[in-house]
Amino acid sequence: MNTAVLVVDADSHVVRCNDAAAAILGRAPEALHGSSAGAWFVDVRGQAVVERTLAEGVRFKGAEAMVDRVGGGAVPVGISCAPILGPGGRVRGAVATFQDLSEMHQLRQQVLQTEKMASIGQLAAGVAHEINNPMGFIHANLFQLAEYAGDLRQLWGEVEQLQKVVSQAGSPEVREAAARLATLAEEVDVDFLLSDLAKAIRESQEGSERIRHIVQDLRDFSHQDNGELSLADVNQCLDSTANIVWPMMKHLVQLEKNYADLPAVTCYPMQLKQVFMNLLVNAFQAIESKLGASAETGHIVLRTEHHGADVVISVADTGVGIAAGDLDRIFDPFFTTKKVGAGTGLGLSTSYNIVQRHGGRIEADSQAGEGTCFRVVLPVDGIGDDA
Amino acid sequence: MTRDGPSLLIVDDEARILSALQRTLRREGYEIVTAETVDEAFEILDRRDVDGILSDHKMPGMTGVQFLGEAGRRRPAAVRMIITGWTEEIPREDLEEVGVCALVTKPWDDAKLKATLRRALGGGA
Ligand SMILES: Nc1ncnc2c1ncn2[C@@H]1O[C@H](COP(=O)(O)OP(=O)(O)O)[C@@H](O)[C@H]1O
Ligand SMILES: [Mg+2]
Repeated sequence: MNTAVLVVDADSHVVRCNDAAAAILGRAPEALHGSSAGAWFVDVRGQAVVERTLAEGVRFKGAEAMVDRVGGGAVPVGISCAPILGPGGRVRGAVATFQDLSEMHQLRQQVLQTEKMASIGQLAAGVAHEINNPMGFIHANLFQLAEYAGDLRQLWGEVEQLQKVVSQAGSPEVREAAARLATLAEEVDVDFLLSDLAKAIRESQEGSERIRHIVQDLRDFSHQDNGELSLADVNQCLDSTANIVWPMMKHLVQLEKNYADLPAVTCYPMQLKQVFMNLLVNAFQAIESKLGASAETGHIVLRTEHHGADVVISVADTGVGIAAGDLDRIFDPFFTTKKVGAGTGLGLSTSYNIVQRHGGRIEADSQAGEGTCFRVVLPVDGIGDDA
Repeated sequence: MTRDGPSLLIVDDEARILSALQRTLRREGYEIVTAETVDEAFEILDRRDVDGILSDHKMPGMTGVQFLGEAGRRRPAAVRMIITGWTEEIPREDLEEVGVCALVTKPWDDAKLKATLRRALGGGA
């Protein structure tokens, strides 16, 4: 990390700077000379560092502040500042040194995210297990109930036949009993009851399927040891995954594929396919919710590129996009903007985990209302023996 | 409900699982005995022989694998199977060590469960 050095006079004007300072601030060294140091800080804390050093002669060590890089937005820096003292202890200026902390901040963010994932993963595993037990008997019982309902319906058909025959012939007592049966059948509305029984069971089965699906997602999220480490053709992984989901999206989506020649990548192909699947399904759902009932279609572009030691896979869509305020949270477990049943909020966090295990990274770019592009960057041989 | 088919002891601390399994297997022709605790299961095994044992894994006091290990010492001829909501947490070696021949996950697929049991117990109705 290059340390930037700035020397300012008592009025906070730059009298000296090195190349590193110029690089961090995005200005030519000449442009820095004579300019006011306080002006580049985007936060009050940073401005106070230089001001107080000059006014009170205090020293700062490793204070965190944000500076304004021309054309690059705010850059986090760690800044140290010491007064230059003249005769009689008067402050004649200050020396400030600072370092670009962007990379460190990113790393810290990653560590936090990883820890969050790990603890939520444990929680998820426990919850999934607890849910599977009651789901075990609910699922099985519904299956049996459906059979019972079918049997009852068949049985009732016979009873109805019998009732008709008997109500016309036979002794008065038998006819009377048959009439009572007919009345009761009408009162309880047997036909409705039998068909609604079957419907209620069917709907409950759908619900239980849905829960099973959620638990499966939770399970995938906390257990990623599926599949074997191998050398794989990432284009092929992407393409076969696209083929799986294609039937579901073809009525709404035009799919464009731009595959580059890629070297074989050391990876867990099953896991990468899971990542691609999540991205594709999200892209499709984003398009679906943007188009609503209109007759238009959306676009998804799949692209692979080879950049030095990395391969880059991107999935771009023309869907609803992601609100700027949500971009920070989409990789959080359980973050979802989809309605109940449509999303569990685990797709991207699972993908994040997987890509990180591969030594890569995943990023999103989005314009609300316009579309989104997810990029997965994977080192060609990122997974060492320790994975 | 006693039948002439193979006998099966089912062990699960959740009584509703026991009744659901019995429902599922109602027409399979097994003679089914159930136990809600490991102790109860041992009592049954001391009293009588069974052709197969299907046990839950996560139970108070003892895991299903531990239980099946001990059950195998008492009734070596009984075919042993595990049913669990979380397969991945049981190492394969542990299963092999105590001679577990099949593993069923909850929620189970009715047809698969029946097929697994038929294969293991050789028959049924
Ligand atoms: N391609 C996309 N376009 C727009 N929003 C997206 C896209 N991908 C993900 N998102 C947003 O990120 C959230 C989290 O995604 P994900 O983790 O896959 O969970 P889920 O799809 O179950 O909601 C989504 O609910 C959605 O708000
Ligand atoms: Mg998703």
